[in-house]
Amino acid sequence: MGYLDGFKVTLRKWAGVHTDTGRRLTMEYPEEVRPKPERFHGRHVLNRYDDGMEKCIGCELCAGVCPANCIYVRGADNDPDDPTSPGERFGYVYEINYLRCIHCDLCVEACPTEAITESKLFEFAFTDRNDAIYTKAELVVDDDGRPQQLPWENWSGGFDPAADTSGWMRATSPSGNAEFEGLVAWATELGYGTRDAELGQVADVPADEQPETPDEGGH
Amino acid sequence: MARLNADNVALAERIIARYPKPRSALIPLCHLAQEQDGWLSEEAMAHIAELIDCTPAQVLGTASFYEMFKLHPVGRYCVNVCTNISCQLLGGEELLEHAEETLGVRSGGTTEDGMFTLEDVECVAACTEAPAVQVNYRYFHRLDTEAFDELISALRAGELEDSVPPHGTLAKVRQELDGDRVANITAPQDQSKPVWIERAEAAARSGGDDS
Amino acid sequence: MSDAPKTTDAPKTDAPKTDAPNTGESPKPIEITDPVEINVDGEQLTVQNGELLIDACERNGTYIPRFCYHPRMNPVGMCRMCLVEVDSGRGPALQPSCMIPVSADMSVDTTSDAVAKVQDGVLEFLLANHPLDCPVCDKGGECPLQDQTYAYGPGESRFVEEKRHYAKPISLSETVYMDRERCILCDRCTRFADEVAGDPLIHFINRGSSTEVNTFPDQPFSSYFSGNTVQICPVGALTAKPFRFKARPWDLTVKESTCTRCSVGCRITVESSRDEVLRYQGVDSDSVNWSWLCDKGRFGFEAYNSPQRLREPLVRDAEGELAPVRWSEALGLAADQIRRAIESRGPASVAVIGGARSTNEGAYAWAKLAKTVIGTDNCDAQLGDGLPAEAVLGLSGLTIDELCAPGGTVLWLGPDPLEELPVLQLRLRHAVINDGVRIVEVGSRVTGLRDLVAQRIAARPGETPGVLRQLFETAPASGDTGLATAAALLREAGDDLRVVVGRPNLAESEDVVLESISVLRSSVPGARFMTALGRANVRGAIEAGLAPGLAPGGVSLSNAAVSDAWSTVPAETGSGSAGILEAAAAGRIDVLVLLGADPISDFPDRSLARRALAATPTVISVAPLLDASAAEARIVLASAAFGEVDGTTTNLEGRVTAVTQKVNPPGTARPDWSIASELAVRIDPAVELGRSAAALAEEMWSLSDAYAELAERPESPSGPEGVLCSAGHALELPATPDVELPAPDSYSLRLVIARKLYDGGTLLAASDSSAGLADDAVALLNPADAAPLGVQNATRVKLTSANGNVTLPARADDSVQRGVVVVHHNLAGADARSLVAAGDTVCDVRAEVA
Repeated sequence: MGYLDGFKVTLRKWAGVHTDTGRRLTMEYPEEVRPKPERFHGRHVLNRYDDGMEKCIGCELCAGVCPANCIYVRGADNDPDDPTSPGERFGYVYEINYLRCIHCDLCVEACPTEAITESKLFEFAFTDRNDAIYTKAELVVDDDGRPQQLPWENWSGGFDPAADTSGWMRATSPSGNAEFEGLVAWATELGYGTRDAELGQVADVPADEQPETPDEGGH
Repeated sequence: MARLNADNVALAERIIARYPKPRSALIPLCHLAQEQDGWLSEEAMAHIAELIDCTPAQVLGTASFYEMFKLHPVGRYCVNVCTNISCQLLGGEELLEHAEETLGVRSGGTTEDGMFTLEDVECVAACTEAPAVQVNYRYFHRLDTEAFDELISALRAGELEDSVPPHGTLAKVRQELDGDRVANITAPQDQSKPVWIERAEAAARSGGDDS
Repeated sequence: MSDAPKTTDAPKTDAPKTDAPNTGESPKPIEITDPVEINVDGEQLTVQNGELLIDACERNGTYIPRFCYHPRMNPVGMCRMCLVEVDSGRGPALQPSCMIPVSADMSVDTTSDAVAKVQDGVLEFLLANHPLDCPVCDKGGECPLQDQTYAYGPGESRFVEEKRHYAKPISLSETVYMDRERCILCDRCTRFADEVAGDPLIHFINRGSSTEVNTFPDQPFSSYFSGNTVQICPVGALTAKPFRFKARPWDLTVKESTCTRCSVGCRITVESSRDEVLRYQGVDSDSVNWSWLCDKGRFGFEAYNSPQRLREPLVRDAEGELAPVRWSEALGLAADQIRRAIESRGPASVAVIGGARSTNEGAYAWAKLAKTVIGTDNCDAQLGDGLPAEAVLGLSGLTIDELCAPGGTVLWLGPDPLEELPVLQLRLRHAVINDGVRIVEVGSRVTGLRDLVAQRIAARPGETPGVLRQLFETAPASGDTGLATAAALLREAGDDLRVVVGRPNLAESEDVVLESISVLRSSVPGARFMTALGRANVRGAIEAGLAPGLAPGGVSLSNAAVSDAWSTVPAETGSGSAGILEAAAAGRIDVLVLLGADPISDFPDRSLARRALAATPTVISVAPLLDASAAEARIVLASAAFGEVDGTTTNLEGRVTAVTQKVNPPGTARPDWSIASELAVRIDPAVELGRSAAALAEEMWSLSDAYAELAERPESPSGPEGVLCSAGHALELPATPDVELPAPDSYSLRLVIARKLYDGGTLLAASDSSAGLADDAVALLNPADAAPLGVQNATRVKLTSANGNVTLPARADDSVQRGVVVVHHNLAGADARSLVAAGDTVCDVRAEVA
């Protein structure tokens, strides 16, 4: 009966599912969802300011830096009476082709206004190639500051803005305080509004007394 | 307000003739227009541009560089209170504050009756007589608040008409010189010896010091 | 980063890349005639004595950063960025290298600590008020201030105060926006406007920290050259409306080409993103445009991007409407009609007008189609607004450089250069102001040369030959009259006279110009000529064979060498546009091909053009946009336009330069040569015209010795200077006709139809930013003529000639000579061409208040 020996592993694991003592690897996906790592790169969102104005100014730096050439941006003049973004220029066209995107996050690094950041949403599949091109209307955060759920996206794990926002590494201070330049920190941000200074970049604490930059985890 | 009037156009032409190039008459003509209206209007600048064959933008460029050309209407008397270091130490700023109260306008403003424009200015080169005030660029020295009030009421009463003419009045552009005393108006490329050098040489040749 | 030590061996990244087209920022080429030795950063260099240090260094590979210095303008030393340590024997001192002429044994250090510190300091000062809105700014990515800040500037600013704020962009003109916050007061735009363009409509206003560049209130910067200020602005202060926020510089891909909006042939870069041309920039061609462009050329791409572009061929359907069809159908129908015409009434019943819009290759393909496949000589690239082909090719020999050579004398009989050949006007202006060139102008109104001429002689239309005779034969030797002054100037020039001829007046016959030429050739045998015709590639089209009586290469048909390519030539000589249109109006033409030509809008006799098109059974228009004549055609073949075809073009000097394809034509529009090729094979299946533009060019250049250099090195037109092919046309000038002027009668005013840069042309009408710039038609009269008529400002007058009448507003204008009425061509409101009959020497009109 030597051939039954092979089942020992299976049986042990099977038993472990129920006892939860074994080193369980398999989960009942999609009913159960594994928590995603802090730095997980999912699909993008276009953020807005507290007053609802879009942060994107159509500068095309994201498109310029994109190694996969998957971003297409065109700027246009803001209507002074009904501006879309603060300032002269706004992103008139903003498209990301997810058949090409490699989720490298260089666009997020390049963005001067923190308009584009990434969520941890990754579960989307298309039956039409056109659906893979997310337009501005689909990328902009909703009025509640959350990404819009598109028909082909699986949000079965729910969406928690704090947990489902991709952390990204920032090497400059959002507060613009030059003392903190070069101090690297993780930020998780998405949705509305401007950001506080990052961990380790609190302005009233001298630079040499700042806490160590954590490996992972935002604020 | 307006273009140059006929008398002033005639004068302008005489002024232009003093220079080798018409454009050299730009600043004297701005003075002329300011004398006519008390300030330098857009119409006057456009007219000056026509007279000296350049563009109004060039006239505006030059005129706006100089503090003494006023591109907005000013009062009959332009009262400049010096607030630079010597005057400041001896009460210039207090004097300015007092002037603002007396005249009822902030620095840069013009009284409603159009009599006074109050300005604070940098050093007017009267440090020994601080605090100094200029009214239409005529000096009034070591003024305290009472003296300032007296000055203002004297101006209002017209007692200083002789020594302080209305804003814009200037004498130099009206100067008429004899032909041989006019500065050399030959274009540089056609110049030989300037007349005054010739005159001096002629005097030297005649041996006398008949200057 | 601020206190990190600067690495001295870091590459200076902002020097212009050597493979990029020179848009005027690099020093102009010079010949070293007076060499001196200088030492730059320890290296011994041989440079031209007296040239500017900044140029001498850059030419030898040491780039000195700068903002205000531009090699085509006088240095001013405004920005202080180019300070270097110069030791002329009294120890090193910081001096602006753009203001220092090099002299022997000068020792220069461009990398010393003092220089690095001063560069750092200058940039910190500039950035004290310059907003850091680079992501929003159109210049971001190609901005000298941005680049030099990265290369030489401080990492951090110590300036924490609030920056200056102004209203965001204000409009300086219809096409140029000014953002005063970004301005660093380098004086480039204002210097350009004053020195180069001669339109000092922008100026520094105010003083100190409130200094700004602006116009006089309500006097916009309406210069024909305003777009150049956008190109030379070293920051994003000046932006052009047609390019504003359209793309970022790093989106653009660039190819060098040649502008074909007029015959000057300015070198440009064509810059596009996503298959759409978004910008042209001037390229510094030392012999042509010196990096300058006119606004009509600079913003001309808008017309080709317009939604009105023809995307497919059209054929008139049963209801008489133009409807889209497939190419095979349109070409088949066109070929059928041509074949039927040849069979029924002979090849001479087919005619081709136009070709000057095309490339040399397109024109050559059509010339070959017409002259060898069809067998008709009824071909003309001109529309009755030019000169006989023999004069265009046989006379020339004067380049722009020779015309503007220092100390020369120019006799100007041509059109208004400012309105028709704007960049030539800039070259002439520079020549007169800086190089002592003297211009004698003979004409019936004051042109753009107004302030530049040494002497202007008034001549009513038709009187120029008489005036020339007086000048050269009977003019008083001395005296104070203009005639005597002009005669003295011309006498002084002797045989070294440079003459510019053209058609300044559409209502004056070309015979008058020919007579002037013959007077000049007999009086001044050594005089050299430039034929200043406005149409872009008119010279190239004629050389390619699109002229009656000529084969390619500027040889007459009778002398055409028989070759493989040209085995047959038409037996009988054909006629020019006027003859073709007359024959058509008389019903003798069955098929009329309009190769980018619009006779209804452009032929001087409008009624003849209308009658001709109406009487011709098959009019085939090959056009990128539906112009007035194409709208009347039976078949419209959509052709690819500028920027969508590869090839070459020839400017008024005879300089052959490359035009390049940057984007794809819209829809299924095709290049002209390809249309000709397809038609040829449908007319005669045995024929193959050419497989590509390059093959056609090679064939054309092998036909004449004039193209020896091109035949040898076919890639040579791609350089910024192109290849000059002006020699070698031994053509007999047409016999001078007897010009008889009509006797004075009650028609007391003589009509001048002149051109304006901005008119109602089809291309301009399709350009968003230029369409509004065309004025309405006005009759301009001398005040002395206007007063007796009672003409006030905008009084409507009726002009009547023997051929018709027009009514339009009139204005007194002392730039117009007495006895002349000037109406501009192709402006809204009135078309003076209805007064003109083809063949009349001049057109006399009577004016009365309507």
